Amino acid sequence: MRRYLHGLTVWMMVGLFVLPVVWMVATAFKSPGEILNAGARLWPEQISLSAFERLLAGEFPLLIGNTLLIALMATGLSLLVSFFSAYALVRYRFPAKLDGAFLLAVLVIKMMPPIVVATPLYSLINQLGLLNTKLGLVLCYQVYTLPFCIWMLLGFIRDIPLEIEEAAAMDGAHLFKRLGFVVFPLCAPGLVATAIFSMILGWNEFLFSLLFIHTPDKFTIPLYLANFMTEDGTAWGELMAAGLVSSLPMLALAGYMQRFLLRGFSLGLK
Amino acid sequence: MLFESRKQLTLLLLPALLILGALTLYPILSVLVNAFGSVDYASKHYLFVGLDNFRELLDDFFFIAAVKNTFVFTVVASCAQVLLGLWLAVLFHRQFPGRRFALPIIIYPMMLSTLVCSSIWRSWYHYDFGLLNTVLTWLGLPAQEWLFNPDLALYSIALVDTWQWTPMAFLIILAGLQSIPKDISEAAMVDGARPLRAFMHITLPLIQKQVMLAFLLRSIDTFKLFDKVYVMTGGGPGNATETLSMFVYKYGFRFFNLGMASASALVMLLISMAMTLLYARKVMKGGKQ
Repeated sequence: MRRYLHGLTVWMMVGLFVLPVVWMVATAFKSPGEILNAGARLWPEQISLSAFERLLAGEFPLLIGNTLLIALMATGLSLLVSFFSAYALVRYRFPAKLDGAFLLAVLVIKMMPPIVVATPLYSLINQLGLLNTKLGLVLCYQVYTLPFCIWMLLGFIRDIPLEIEEAAAMDGAHLFKRLGFVVFPLCAPGLVATAIFSMILGWNEFLFSLLFIHTPDKFTIPLYLANFMTEDGTAWGELMAAGLVSSLPMLALAGYMQRFLLRGFSLGLK
Repeated sequence: MLFESRKQLTLLLLPALLILGALTLYPILSVLVNAFGSVDYASKHYLFVGLDNFRELLDDFFFIAAVKNTFVFTVVASCAQVLLGLWLAVLFHRQFPGRRFALPIIIYPMMLSTLVCSSIWRSWYHYDFGLLNTVLTWLGLPAQEWLFNPDLALYSIALVDTWQWTPMAFLIILAGLQSIPKDISEAAMVDGARPLRAFMHITLPLIQKQVMLAFLLRSIDTFKLFDKVYVMTGGGPGNATETLSMFVYKYGFRFFNLGMASASALVMLLISMAMTLLYARKVMKGGKQ
């Protein structure tokens, strides 16, 4: 009896936490008329795809492409740069504990509110002539993704036994050969997990795209959602359809990412 | 010798140093300089004014309100998330039917973007058509102005944050619970200690570190609060949901007052740094044990 009570309590809590997500899915499939009239009815009376149709007819598909491209480029750059630096930080003791100081500084950057650097970053991007461009955002996103990737990869590279590399070195493999043919394949799963998290960071980023992107055809998805919300208070069908489409990759990956979540979100805590 | 030269290794670090230097170190230094100056936005003319900006901040009614709101939000949201996460972790620590499926489902909220979360809850908070008021009316309770009542709005946003991020506190604390050796928890059961007593005196001290880390991590994050406020209330009604991030944003990008924006940004940076260093110390202390 107590066992059942326990199970029931947990599943009720799970239900409570997932209810908003279920509501999002259900509302995306409702017809515009049903959304405001149905009151508290959760599930649509009749599945309607009109919200998705309207969404696809607009600039939404283009913006998905935009956002994906930006997140991919930001992740690619961060991953490459952080792979090298994480390796150096793991394998080499820098004099005067400089490596520790560097890592701490990187952590401080990762944790600081991004608005702190927003005004100088704006003038920097402006001077480079990169306002309102994808490249400008890719650079700005390094503020989030690079510190994240460095800390994340640190753990994965630490797990690679030094002996394997030493054996490779005996065979005459020099540093870059070892990096490419020994270290890289061995931490490939870690690189994939890091890349996914970094993609999510870029995909969800709001502040810098709000500040640095001005024309609607260059919006990222979060910016599109924000604009949609403030312009039309109750076009929930389209809003939820857009939210659903943009969340699908993450919801699908939730099971897989679960074991990396702690590493990913807590930096340094396993 | 594994490493042919130190130069090579330093070279590996160079790209990261360059990017972080240009995109974070330079901006931070420039905030530091501007915080003690008055900058003409058009001509970029800089005048050193010492502590004037900070004095002006302390006299600024909006700044004080932003500090107060940010503090209340950080404490309320972080505490709610850690307590709820602790309870959920204890629930999940014991086996129950379907546990395997429940775990990935309960972390859904933290997989969604903040903007998606805000759009769902903004709809739920709608006065006429929102789900919450529909339920309240159905229960015979008065409908609420969730986002337009100055006494309620900040807590409404805290509720969204709690929904989104409780799963993270939950995951951290659950990991702590799972690292407790089985014989300790079994010994407590055998001793016949009442569940609540056993939890307070045996389990809780053992996961104290994870609870603290979860709290610090959530505080660091809730302190940044910007996106939710920007799209749900815009800082209003009045300045009931004005936060420090919103304050920096408004002074930097709407009033073009670089001195005040930088001074308040510097205050934020210092607070965030203090919390981060505390967090790093806690994590590293655990690593040595």
